[in-house]
Amino acid sequence: MLSPHDMSSVIIAGPNNILEGIIKELHNLKILHIVDHSKNDLADIGTPLESASRISEILVKVRSMISSLNIKKNDSSFELKRDILDVGLAVKKLGDELVMRTDELKKIEEHLSRNEAVKQELEILKGIDIPLELFFPFKSLARFTGYLKSKNNHKELKTELEKITAKFMLLESLTSKGNLVVLYIDASKKENANSILQKIGFTPVNFVNLTNLKGNASSNMDIIEEEKANLQKKEEEVKKRIESLRKEHKSFLLAAEEFLNEQLEKAEAPLKFASTKSSFLIKGWIPSDELNKSIDRINKVSKNKVFIQFEPAKKNDKVPVKLKNPKYAKSFEFFLDLYSMPTYMEIDPTFFIFLTFPILFGMMLGDIGYGIVSFLIFWLIKKKLPKSRSLLNILMLASLVSILFGVLFGEFFGLEKIGEMELWHLLSREHDMFSLLYIAIGIGIVHVNIGLIIGFINEMKSHGFMMAIFEKGSWIVLEIGIAMVALSYFQIIAVSARIGYSFLAFSVLMLLKGEGIKGIIELPSILTNILSYARLMAIGLSSVILAVIINDESTQFFHKGGLFILAGVMILIIGHTINIMLGLLGSFLHSLRLHYVEFFSKFFHGGAKKYQAFGAKE
Amino acid sequence: MAVDISIGLVAIGSGLAIGMSAIAAAIAEKEIGAAAVGAMAEKEELFGKGLILTVIPETIVIFGLVVAILILNLAK
Repeated sequence: MLSPHDMSSVIIAGPNNILEGIIKELHNLKILHIVDHSKNDLADIGTPLESASRISEILVKVRSMISSLNIKKNDSSFELKRDILDVGLAVKKLGDELVMRTDELKKIEEHLSRNEAVKQELEILKGIDIPLELFFPFKSLARFTGYLKSKNNHKELKTELEKITAKFMLLESLTSKGNLVVLYIDASKKENANSILQKIGFTPVNFVNLTNLKGNASSNMDIIEEEKANLQKKEEEVKKRIESLRKEHKSFLLAAEEFLNEQLEKAEAPLKFASTKSSFLIKGWIPSDELNKSIDRINKVSKNKVFIQFEPAKKNDKVPVKLKNPKYAKSFEFFLDLYSMPTYMEIDPTFFIFLTFPILFGMMLGDIGYGIVSFLIFWLIKKKLPKSRSLLNILMLASLVSILFGVLFGEFFGLEKIGEMELWHLLSREHDMFSLLYIAIGIGIVHVNIGLIIGFINEMKSHGFMMAIFEKGSWIVLEIGIAMVALSYFQIIAVSARIGYSFLAFSVLMLLKGEGIKGIIELPSILTNILSYARLMAIGLSSVILAVIINDESTQFFHKGGLFILAGVMILIIGHTINIMLGLLGSFLHSLRLHYVEFFSKFFHGGAKKYQAFGAKE
Repeated sequence: MAVDISIGLVAIGSGLAIGMSAIAAAIAEKEIGAAAVGAMAEKEELFGKGLILTVIPETIVIFGLVVAILILNLAK
């Protein structure tokens, strides 16, 4: 419970020709935590198995298809023929078809957008009945197309043009955007015409998409519309086909990805091993209670061709840690995952977190109503998100403890009496905050001292009894000193303050010996750490006061009657929702912080690697 | 509404105690929060540690609150 699983270090060495079989067996066993070999003079790292490049090639294809078909991970199972060649062929076939379909779709879409551009230009020319062939450039004629500012300009333009030449043709049409004119004029007069147009306010329009079209604009429009309808129909068909491919092969692709991942892990495993031309060496860790069984299996597979050496973990080994906790406390390992794994020799604090986290959380939230609501919310979320199971288990337990504290505090959604019935309480947070403050500090003293005791044991294991006395015992002596000085100052105990002072001085000396000058600088931290537990009262109090304000405010609305009752109900719902959210966030973060900062700083070193068996899924 | 001036002063004092300590905590948290978000952008797993580091200066407010309540108690 308080220490992780026993580990043994294992070294497996053998000839390269049985390497593949050994990897397969280790992958099936899911028991060996492999320690990566780093290249040195004696041995290089191994090379991946031959199949690795082929597998990763197929895997890339599968992944690209999964992302382009937008397939989400689900639980549906698929009976995959577990053979790389077969999977590769199926993937290739599917990939080819998919590429063909998406190319087709892309072409249709391009065509559609080109048509749309032509259509927009035709729309402008709708009212002008000239063959579109005339939009090709001519040698002897210059062409201007564009909008005039107003209809009157048309006449003005005509008279101005007549002044320079008689060889021109002017067409016009009224469109939604303005007065469109098309002017053909003798090429030699192009410059003059241009300056006239500039003068009377002309905005040119270019038609870049109208090449290779015959007949007038409106007849072309009909053709384009018809084409568009056809293309859209085709587009639908291709999309449907892709969708059916997606539905049909969804589970196959997901299963293939999983299978290939597994195969790739095996094929690339030699990168973690030490290797020479003809032999390999695998270093790793196996939980001691599974050791014999695993070694038997490996020997059997290799027909006793491998050499296996094993020994229990030694003091200075970097052992990967597999936490060992009873089922009910297992969820709380989440907090160590989030923070850092304790080292192999340290005490695993999971069980202590299991004991204290819900209490600290519950004391801060401490309301029957809020506890019930949050319990139900977390229960529902747990059904939806089974992946976050451990966090939600923690929160559900914490919610239950909140209900318990709610009963002790006699609070139901901030109310101390429901109707005329006064709720029983042991201590009212709203009216007796000083008692609550003292209780909070008391809990702080207990909690910090539990931390110091764990630290003492850790220290004793790693550096011996005397060091533990100097490093951790000194803090306890310091606390006793402070307590004696304070108590004699307030004349609660009839002991001279000098004894307290001598305790203080003694503890400072011990600390200097144990932790050096750093310890002396840290001296005030014992007080701030303990006072920090005042938040147990502060967070709770702010939550209660907010709830009381919400209740009072809505009661005022209820007294006004009529529509105000509705407003009152709204205030109650919105207010309590916000307060529950704030309360949950605050209670969670602060009790977590009390553990990570105040509690852990007394004993925790951490930094170990988590035990991760080769072949086991995360 | 006639209130004894000493009660008013006590209220101001306790308000200052919590208000100013809250500002101090906010300044400290601002820096840590910015750094934590920066670290998280690089490495998402640091969310847990970032969150914890960010709430560390919260203690300052709690000391402020305790002092504020102690001051308020003077008015009684």
